[in-house]
Amino acid sequence: MEKKKRKVDEINASSMADIAFLLLIFFLVATTMDVDTGMTRVLPPWVDAEKQKDNTDVNERNVLKVSISKGGRILVDEAEYTAADLIRNRMTNESKLSQETKTFLQSPDRSDKKDTLINGQTYPMSEGVVSLKADKETQYKVYIDVQNELTHAFNDIREDYSQKMFKRPFDELDSDERTVISKLVPMRISEAEPNDQTKKK
Amino acid sequence: MAKKGKKEVPKLSTSSLPDVIFMILFFFMVSTSMREKDVIVTNVLPQATEITKLDKKNLISIYVGVPLDQQNVAGSAPRIQLNDSFQSTAAIRDFIASEVERRDEAERSKLTVNLRVDENSTMGIVTDVKQELRKAQANKISYAARQK
Repeated sequence: MEKKKRKVDEINASSMADIAFLLLIFFLVATTMDVDTGMTRVLPPWVDAEKQKDNTDVNERNVLKVSISKGGRILVDEAEYTAADLIRNRMTNESKLSQETKTFLQSPDRSDKKDTLINGQTYPMSEGVVSLKADKETQYKVYIDVQNELTHAFNDIREDYSQKMFKRPFDELDSDERTVISKLVPMRISEAEPNDQTKKK
Repeated sequence: MAKKGKKEVPKLSTSSLPDVIFMILFFFMVSTSMREKDVIVTNVLPQATEITKLDKKNLISIYVGVPLDQQNVAGSAPRIQLNDSFQSTAAIRDFIASEVERRDEAERSKLTVNLRVDENSTMGIVTDVKQELRKAQANKISYAARQK
């Protein structure tokens, strides 16, 4: 009663470190740090078997046919490629397959161009489609390697356009600019199912 | 010089130790994510260069690979793992539907199915999974791959 202020004992905080350590170790064990990475694709919507006949209407000229056999042999429009043709040249950073895909998409004698209006300007857009077919026995690793080279070809063309139009690499563009480039160079890789193979033969 | 033979060393102050530890703790809480499920199939992802980072929030993972153990029960051919068990291709549609159901309505259009396929699998099973995904109207997929 006499004293108005009594000194409150300080709380012992020496075990705080132990508690924090415990929490830290729990989070170290229970979480992962790896980031998911991958190649994104959009599958065509499902169509019923009877409707399937009139489903695609692409000029045969504008299709680059890539097929992988079960032994890992790759056919690109009747020409045979081997695993070595997927390896990038160190100087040009291009493999034979990505080079071929690029020429197919860019050269006017290989695929048609259509003028597209983007932001008041017309640009020639390639109508080329890459059709990728794989045998049921094909190793997934080979399939991804081929997909990677095809994507590389598309990304390279996008990079070219990005430098030409915006004077910056594609990675540094904002989302609007990216949409423009993606519209101009759509990633048209068609992953047909195995039974599609007989459709146009 | 010294009058005392032993000079006492002052005690090291540990009062800021909790702060340091808490800082490390927060770093790990922010930069990591919870381990969700055990993978029960071999899962060596193929390597690629043209890959993009995927947002974990919008991913539905499907694992394909050879069962790691209990091969006499589960077989030694590549199997599909949904959640924590082996499933047939027919179960994919229900799985996708229930996963979509769990997400916010606004986020549903962004959902991507992440195909985590072992590099030694064959395309047969992958094509089957893809066909089922088309039937389930989950058309956005990604082939999980490591940086080359």
